[in-house]
Amino acid sequence: MSKASFVVRRLLQLGVTIWAVGTALFFLFRLMPGDPTSFVVSSQMTPEARDRIIASYGLDQPMHVQYVRYIQNALTLDFGQSFHSNEPVQDVIWTYLPNTLVLMLTAFVIAYILGISLGVLTGWYRGSRFEKSTVVTALTARSVPTFYVGLIVLWVFGATFDVIPMSGMTTAGQDTGSFLSMVTSVDFVQHLVAPAAVLAFYFMGYPLLIMRSSMMEVLSEDFIDVCRAKGLSERAIMFKHAARNAMLPILTAAAIALGYAVGGSVLIETVFAWPGIGREMVRAVLRRDFPVAQGTFMVLAGTIITLNFLADLLYGYLDPRVTYD
Amino acid sequence: MSADDTAGRREFLNKAGATAGVVGLTSLAGCSGDDSEGDGSGGSDGSDGSENLGDPLPTYTYLNNAQSYNPPRHDAINLIANQFGELGFDMEIEVLEWGTLFNRVDVEYDYDFSTWHTFFTIDPVLELGTTMYSENTSEGDGNFAGYENPDADELMDQYLVEPDSDARVDLVHELQQTLMEDMPQMPVIDMPDIAAFNNNQVDNWEQELELGYNSYWTMINLEMQGDETTLKGYWPETLSTMNVLGHNDENKHTYQFAVMYDTLLRLNGDGEFDTEVSLATDYERVDETTFEYTIRTDHSFHDGEDLTAEDVAFTYNYITDNEVPLFSVQAGFLESAEVVDDSTVRVNLSEPLGPFNRLVATQLPILPEHRWADRDEPSQVNVQEPVGSGPLQFDYWEKGSEFGLTSFDEHFAPADFEDRYWRVIPEASTVWSNLLDGTLNYEPFGRIDRQLDENREEDNISVETQPATSFWHCTPNERSGGLDDPAVRKAAYNAIPRTSIVDQVLFGVPEPGFNVVSPAFGPLHTEDVTTYEESVETGRQRLQDAGYVYDDEGLVHFPAE
Repeated sequence: MSKASFVVRRLLQLGVTIWAVGTALFFLFRLMPGDPTSFVVSSQMTPEARDRIIASYGLDQPMHVQYVRYIQNALTLDFGQSFHSNEPVQDVIWTYLPNTLVLMLTAFVIAYILGISLGVLTGWYRGSRFEKSTVVTALTARSVPTFYVGLIVLWVFGATFDVIPMSGMTTAGQDTGSFLSMVTSVDFVQHLVAPAAVLAFYFMGYPLLIMRSSMMEVLSEDFIDVCRAKGLSERAIMFKHAARNAMLPILTAAAIALGYAVGGSVLIETVFAWPGIGREMVRAVLRRDFPVAQGTFMVLAGTIITLNFLADLLYGYLDPRVTYD
Repeated sequence: MSADDTAGRREFLNKAGATAGVVGLTSLAGCSGDDSEGDGSGGSDGSDGSENLGDPLPTYTYLNNAQSYNPPRHDAINLIANQFGELGFDMEIEVLEWGTLFNRVDVEYDYDFSTWHTFFTIDPVLELGTTMYSENTSEGDGNFAGYENPDADELMDQYLVEPDSDARVDLVHELQQTLMEDMPQMPVIDMPDIAAFNNNQVDNWEQELELGYNSYWTMINLEMQGDETTLKGYWPETLSTMNVLGHNDENKHTYQFAVMYDTLLRLNGDGEFDTEVSLATDYERVDETTFEYTIRTDHSFHDGEDLTAEDVAFTYNYITDNEVPLFSVQAGFLESAEVVDDSTVRVNLSEPLGPFNRLVATQLPILPEHRWADRDEPSQVNVQEPVGSGPLQFDYWEKGSEFGLTSFDEHFAPADFEDRYWRVIPEASTVWSNLLDGTLNYEPFGRIDRQLDENREEDNISVETQPATSFWHCTPNERSGGLDDPAVRKAAYNAIPRTSIVDQVLFGVPEPGFNVVSPAFGPLHTEDVTTYEESVETGRQRLQDAGYVYDDEGLVHFPAE
């Protein structure tokens, strides 16, 4: 199969997958117990008023009519209006998603730089005390709940030593202006440090362990011996030859992790009062705000599917041995 | 409460935290060795032969919220269910996510017992009229208890049309006596209004009937301390909207709009109309269906436009004509509003409503006509910068992060502080850390939790509590077998460990409930209602007196045919 036909076939698969996810989301939310109007209306509202609200959301229509309208709108990336704020769903997403991306991508970059580097070193120095302590640390980072680490960090560095802010993205009591001016301020960076560090600590274990095991596999291959026979320095063998070849599994892992990053981390966002998309997604589900829930989940699913697709393409580029059959 | 019924703290809390998911409590049904020996209430006590046994009462399902949603209430429900088991009911607890639970109870009526915090209301009959009125028993209409009593309906009907306030007091007293005799809803705990604040920065917290310490009255009476000029609060989640006609009446919204928009009349701390701090300087009931209000002529909206009689009349007509869902009850009583002269507005009612001023004139926000006249679907408008005329005006809204207001200095009842913000902080320990160090200076959410208990003795923290209008109810579904009998409901009420819940789950902060109309309502509340001893044994005796029989396992049966 040619590369072009591979891409076309994967694109078609991608479209079908996104349609399936969208359909599943639509029916899942409507099959959930709980009336969405319970959260929108006042307890002292008349039944007639409640009926009017249901009609205004289109929820009085048969399910198939709602579904057709949903698919039609989704094709134009229109996920409707929030039941609660009456804002277009795109606006809701654009309000919270950038906050999440700044936090998650910062943590992601730190975690993958550190994780990959430490993975290379632990693979190289296999059996050393350094390897053992690093692996134990990585396993601990993956095992301890992030909210727990977050609370300890807040307690120690926030409440006790007062060196980090306790909540939010900026200092309280001020209008932060545009997003750009906010994220480029020192105040924002100070607020970013703790949640990003906690998340990076959690994320780091994954690439570290994958890289370590991949390195060990590569180091047992013949070409490493050839490198040594050629007289290359240990550093050059480790980074230029072994690490490069061990990187491929990281690519898929990173693509999926990056996709999940778009969904935010509801626990970290809650502990550090970070106004991200994760909290908003959970809130939308709990309040049966179908349009926002569907929209945010679709963004998450779409990103993961797309990044996975790109990782597949990149795989072929980075490793000429990969074929498209 | 008898000593026998007072569980030790360790045992009590073990019971409280013991259950999750769907859990049967049959094994707890009053059949322990200690009971049968100690107070004669266990095992075969009360069983007078299988020939008298009818069918057993059905298994009852008590719906409980998840512990993460409301920990103390979750624990309290477990305890109550446990005590019902001691009484001889075959109990199950089903833990549900809040939205599902509310729907099961309030819309589908698919439950046997339920508990939550009743809604804040300015008038007790407004709430009871929804939840206790016989006509509202159809699915989703509000009477989830399934209670039907024409006498109670009549009292509520009379109350709503009675123009004389003293006569209304008599009617609502009689209604309380009826409800506490029929027991369609059991008041478990009278939840208080709570003001927890940093006393180095702010003081003089005065409560108001409907919104407690988050009311207009509270805000205009606060006194800032030292150099502090900002009132700094929090809420665990973000606001949803800035549309005063499009919110869902949740407290987080009501607290904001109550200070951003004026209403014709305002209540003071004693629950009386106070024209000194109201938009209307005088008001008169012209006849049964006509009211006239004299309004201030020197007031303006936050955008500088004059607030006129036309704006007031427009607001009332606009809300009525557009059938704004949030105010659908109020709009149901409104016919029209008209301008009489520059300072007088006449409101015509479609039918008599005795407490009109309390139910309508204190509730409808006065809107600027120049902003709203062209908006066709008022409840669905996406408002970004609201313009009202209240003592606080919109400053900024960082969605998900923070909401800021500034003082409107030209208001006739200005606040003492220059700014107020609410920061979104979901984590309670962060809130208290911030309160202690002055980053925040008040706690508007009113959580009763361990953090409050541990910090209320700190020098810079003060905590004020007053009875609120709402309570934790335990409501039996009268559609379920046995629960349609008042004797069964009263026995169940006897079994609820109200005092223990207050002392051991809620840190002694609230008071045990005893009436469906809270003491916060002042003269509308009466203590002259039937009261019920907290005692499982009394409940068991009550059931036996009513002809119910216990089997050998301590479970209650209907009398034989």
